[in-house]
Amino acid sequence: MNIKKTLLGAAIAVTAATFTAGTAMAACATDALPGEMEKPDGFPARALSMIVPYGPAGGSGQVAQAMAEAVSELTGVSINRDHKPGGSGTVGMTAYMATPADGYTVLEHIDDASSAHALDSSRPNPAEALIPLVTSQITFSQIYIRTKEDRYTDWPSFVEWVKAQGGKATIANVSKEGSMERVTMKFITDATGMEIQQISFDKGAPRYGALAGGQVDALFEQPGDVRKFLDSGMFKPILTILKERPDAFSDVPSLTDAGLDFDPLFRFRGFYVKAGTPDDRVKWLQWAFQKAYCGEGYQAYNESKFMNLIDSFRDTDGSKELITNTIAQYRDVYKSMGLEVK
Amino acid sequence: METFNNFLGGTAALFGDPIGVLIFFGGVVGGMLFGAIPGVSMLTLAAILLPFTAHLSAEHGIMLFSVIYCTGVYGGAITAILFNIPGAPENAPTAFDGYPMTQAGKAGKAVGAAVMCSAIGGTVSCVIMMFATAPIASWAISAFGPPEIFALVFFGLAVAASVGAKTFWKGWLSIMAGLMIAVVGLDPVGGIERYNFDMPYLAAGIHFIPTILGFFAVSEIFVQAEKKATGAYKAPKLSVDFPTFKELWLHKIAVVRSIIIGFFCGILPGIGATLAAFMGYNEAARWSKDRINFGKGKIEGVISSETANNSATGAAMIPLLALGLPGGALTAMMVGVFQMHDMEPGPLVFINSPDLVWVVFAAMFFANLSILLVGFLEAKTIVNLLRIPFQFLAPMILLLATVGSYAVRGLVIDVVVMFVAGVAGFFLRRSGYSVAGIVLGLILGKIGEQTFAQAMQMLHFEFSGFLNRPIAFGLLIAGAVTIAGSVYGAFFKKPPAPADSESA
Repeated sequence: MNIKKTLLGAAIAVTAATFTAGTAMAACATDALPGEMEKPDGFPARALSMIVPYGPAGGSGQVAQAMAEAVSELTGVSINRDHKPGGSGTVGMTAYMATPADGYTVLEHIDDASSAHALDSSRPNPAEALIPLVTSQITFSQIYIRTKEDRYTDWPSFVEWVKAQGGKATIANVSKEGSMERVTMKFITDATGMEIQQISFDKGAPRYGALAGGQVDALFEQPGDVRKFLDSGMFKPILTILKERPDAFSDVPSLTDAGLDFDPLFRFRGFYVKAGTPDDRVKWLQWAFQKAYCGEGYQAYNESKFMNLIDSFRDTDGSKELITNTIAQYRDVYKSMGLEVK
Repeated sequence: METFNNFLGGTAALFGDPIGVLIFFGGVVGGMLFGAIPGVSMLTLAAILLPFTAHLSAEHGIMLFSVIYCTGVYGGAITAILFNIPGAPENAPTAFDGYPMTQAGKAGKAVGAAVMCSAIGGTVSCVIMMFATAPIASWAISAFGPPEIFALVFFGLAVAASVGAKTFWKGWLSIMAGLMIAVVGLDPVGGIERYNFDMPYLAAGIHFIPTILGFFAVSEIFVQAEKKATGAYKAPKLSVDFPTFKELWLHKIAVVRSIIIGFFCGILPGIGATLAAFMGYNEAARWSKDRINFGKGKIEGVISSETANNSATGAAMIPLLALGLPGGALTAMMVGVFQMHDMEPGPLVFINSPDLVWVVFAAMFFANLSILLVGFLEAKTIVNLLRIPFQFLAPMILLLATVGSYAVRGLVIDVVVMFVAGVAGFFLRRSGYSVAGIVLGLILGKIGEQTFAQAMQMLHFEFSGFLNRPIAFGLLIAGAVTIAGSVYGAFFKKPPAPADSESA
């Protein structure tokens, strides 16, 4: 549990901010911003481009579309999305870093950019090489089983069953080296003494199909991504990887309930502009993206993805703090896991 | 009877609404056109239309995407046959025999076979989809996990190694080259970088669309240019003679086999029409008495590939609608259309929105039938492009292929990959290697590596685990027997039969 101690300081800030900001959601976090903002020297005089380092159909592609539409509706400025998938976001980030810092090209990215920098500092630090305009989705993870499963029905019986399998039990996730999923599973297995084989599925459909078809025994995922399976009663959560139970999952044990004493890692998605972009343009973009977050359309989208259960909003300073803390958190974890941190 | 009544209800709803009819025919024509242009595929059209579907009703939005899916998979066959440019990866095996048929003055027959068989494959799978969506979906995800899909890929590679190359060794070396290209980039399990030489773009791997365009279209331009320079060039004879019913009836077994193969590949989440087309083609070659002439212009090659890839379209809707599991990129976009209308595909959609489901079923059924009508009209006109002299046609094809490669991800490196593949393909074909084998190794290699890694994790890194999974074990044995058979044929039975290296 030495990992827990080293992480505590950094993680408390993230966790506390996530929950305390919940009260601000009712009024929406950007209500204090003006309803309109004059374009600085006519910027933008043409459509913006948004580089999305993932495909259009996944969670990142969808949030990019929802935000682009919300910004366009607010400002009347079109945003052309340019999907550059591959290399866990590396291709899109590299392409973005080659664009001019003129504010005409923005980037959508997820927490993978932070964990990549934590592992290899030659990768861009999203809090320094980029200016976060807004973080618009922050979510937690859960562990799911099939609703009709009869070998185990809840977290305690699942842990007991997994231990009895002697390492033969399986869980589907995106278990790439150093990923949020793999790190979190290490926390869980260390704390419970479970030995479970992680099966890596990089695409959602085969991952969910593996649980639905009984190819694996459990699934590690975020609730918004499996909402349809929860609503249809195919899957049920048995553990929420948060310190406290959110209202929507009040009958699912949290980390505290399960006696798991570690600080959860979050999945977050946000929008960035390149460092070095003229200040007046950055201010206009900050206004546009933060104000669009509170638009009816974007809020409805976030709600449909369970992104309203904890505070999903961070402005520029909040995003920088989130990213910096996350990088420190991952770096400590990687070192404790024996990974080579460059 | 209830199914039939539901189908009639869906048909009435579809054609009783003028806006619906307009959207239906827009989708039919749009899917065919975008499917026919390399790089700018039906996915491009779908991505463009996705935001606009918010302004359509849920029925119209989902129906539009279903129709684009059916006709888009067919559309790429035309350019594959006429110019050796598969409009999409699932049309690549169509070019293996379709293009040699064009060179032999049988373009009309090849296009006609593609039209007929796309319609048959799509319509039959659509009918199965209407009757048995829920039970088939549940069975497929229970019976086919990563070990079974890996075994299927292994079997496919074993069969494919003997198609299109001059010798046994060149066949296997072609497949191995494709597998080598497939491992460039991040490994699919641990995310470890391989063969990227510190180039971030290579971390994403070599994309198969520019590779296909290079090996097929660009290398073909070089081959024809060489012939032109040496005076050996002969313009393909124009033909609009479609195959007779009797000609197609001779290949009824291939059609049925491809429908079954395409259907099974289509219902596996994340697999889809590309594997279907390759497997359909491979099996046709495997069971044919005239196997030696596959890759040289056998109509059976076109029939098997086009039947299988369209058969996968109806099948791919099964896991999407029954379980909410999209089989490929286009069906994943359909999830987006559902969500825009506050709906989620999955078991509840049959309970909450049965009208929508049956409008979609009816639209897919009629979209596949409309391939017959619109496809024949389209083919009668597009075949005339062959009248354009080579010196004008070649730059147009190169331009189209370049735009197609760049359009995939907006990366110049994809254009570079295409030209490198084009030059490599030119020399490899002269040496008797199979560029089809390389492309197949690349596409199946990516699926195979990922599912092998997942299978080993699931089986706790014990190969004996395959023994406990009868389907996987059976497919592995079939693959091993196929390899043993081709070794026996190559070294003990008779000398390796020469194949036309330019046909691939």
